[in-house]
Amino acid sequence: MSSRNAVPGTGEVLPGTRAAGRPATAARRRRPWHTHLLGYGLVAPLVLLMLGVIGYPLLNTVLLSLQDQGVVGSSSNFVGLDNYTEAFGDGAFWAAIGRSGIWLAGNLLVQTLIAFGTALLIGRSGRWARASRTWVLIPWVIPTVAVAVIWQWLSNSNYGIVPKLAAAVGIDGLGSPFGDSALAMPALILMNSWHWFPLGAVVIFGALRTIPGEIYEAARVDGADAWRIFWRITFPLLQPVLFALGLVGSLWSFNIVDSIYLVTKGGPADATTTAPIFIYNKAFNQFQASDAAAVSVITIILLAAVAFFYIRVAKPKEDS
Amino acid sequence: MTSAPPVTSRLSWARLPRLVTWTVLTAIVLGPLYWITISAFKDREEILRTTPTLIPTHPTLDNFRQLFTATDYPSYLTNSFVIALSTAFCTVLVSFAAAYGLYRLRIPGGNKLAGAILVAYMIPGTLLLVPLYQAFAAVELIDTRNALVIVNVAFTAPFCTWLLRGFFFAIPRDIDEAAAVDGAGPVRMMLRIVLPLLAPGISTVAVYAFVFSWTEFVFASQLIVSDQLKTLPIGLSAIMGQYTVNWGLLMAGTVCTVIPAIVPFLFAGRYFVGGLTAGAVK
Repeated sequence: MSSRNAVPGTGEVLPGTRAAGRPATAARRRRPWHTHLLGYGLVAPLVLLMLGVIGYPLLNTVLLSLQDQGVVGSSSNFVGLDNYTEAFGDGAFWAAIGRSGIWLAGNLLVQTLIAFGTALLIGRSGRWARASRTWVLIPWVIPTVAVAVIWQWLSNSNYGIVPKLAAAVGIDGLGSPFGDSALAMPALILMNSWHWFPLGAVVIFGALRTIPGEIYEAARVDGADAWRIFWRITFPLLQPVLFALGLVGSLWSFNIVDSIYLVTKGGPADATTTAPIFIYNKAFNQFQASDAAAVSVITIILLAAVAFFYIRVAKPKEDS
Repeated sequence: MTSAPPVTSRLSWARLPRLVTWTVLTAIVLGPLYWITISAFKDREEILRTTPTLIPTHPTLDNFRQLFTATDYPSYLTNSFVIALSTAFCTVLVSFAAAYGLYRLRIPGGNKLAGAILVAYMIPGTLLLVPLYQAFAAVELIDTRNALVIVNVAFTAPFCTWLLRGFFFAIPRDIDEAAAVDGAGPVRMMLRIVLPLLAPGISTVAVYAFVFSWTEFVFASQLIVSDQLKTLPIGLSAIMGQYTVNWGLLMAGTVCTVIPAIVPFLFAGRYFVGGLTAGAVK
């Protein structure tokens, strides 16, 4: 672009390059704002895209929740907080929130446990452990619809391999769990955990690798056993990562619609209708767009409260 | 952990628990995939046999033939490829640019901005489906591939920008100094010096965006109306509803949906794992 002898201030329009090497922030602060134009210009597309696809719809959800729209996109009038009063009085909504809580807790528990075990396993040395760091992620890249097909096929009451294996070890008459209102939720949690645990495993594995080996050496010299080492060293040092994983994982799990919708559509008898499924059905199957929007807003506020709780209560101390 | 265990692979009782754990993990992760793959090669009689067979006794390609000739699968495949490749391309552009601005040029307020981007990204997409549908309807984007690309990029780019952070931090800043002394302008520096060094990060981001788009279901199910524009997940779920009894066909469709997601991942998998762990830890 510019040659060596071009604009005299060339060095100045390399924001970050000069100042970054210096420990003092003063140099950065002194530079005029227009030297950062390139930086802002580069970030702008992402910000604009997010404002358009996330920010604007979010604002519109709030506006829509104050109206009485039925079919998505039809005309509507302002009705104030009516939709909210209706949602608060709707037992089905609170039941859906409750199921979301079970869904969230179940997924976090199962996924974290399997992910932890897997991370410890693939963190070992050896060829098998090294290779597995890649293939263990495979369930995560499989499309949800394929995950749904796979597990429906495996658990099919007539032809599935799971009921047959169960029969082989003496558990007879196991039907498809997805069609059983008592078993559908746990079965979906297991299916979804199969889909998502690899991500957690790889993230925890990455965090494990940052713990210096000398710490373990020292602990071993001091005569600590494996159990003590885990609880006194590994676990505390992993806390920041587990915290991030818990926060992000909660929001991701909560948000899941496809896994549930594809397999049970929220049934049988609403047994798997979590809050997002409730909203999806209201908007696109029962044609109550405004009610769906009001429920969305309440849900977002509840989620924000959960995130706030995480950050205030569960945040690792050393990060503050 | 880092102290090297004895390399000798003596088979002893002490190794048994670990061996069992490995077997269980492998069976859990790869077992279901093996099962659907062999099911796709079984004929109609064998797939429904009361005693399942581990290896197809009469392997057949009939299910695949039917999938590609009697269903709309080829058009779903094309749509998914076009949308996923476009998503990957745009996500790389947007997230590389943003990450460069945030983590390399260090714009004032960059940390706060990065935080805000990550928080905004946490807002559940499903809850935005209704107004997003309306917004797209207003600008006549409903039932277009572009609508899906825009939504997919909006949901992958924030996470990918964050993923690239670890890769940016791994590039020494002295390089910038040296390039500045040589008279390289900011844009040239970005494209000629930093971009090539960031190749692993770029491939991680591209694979993530491709896989995200390839697997995305909720938005694709609402924003696309016409049959000939549907993506694979929607098409496959239609086959699932339409041919409930034809499990062989469904298995073939599933296998063909899974392969294009796994293959790019296996190629870039190593970078991918590195990228995820770097982004998570640093």
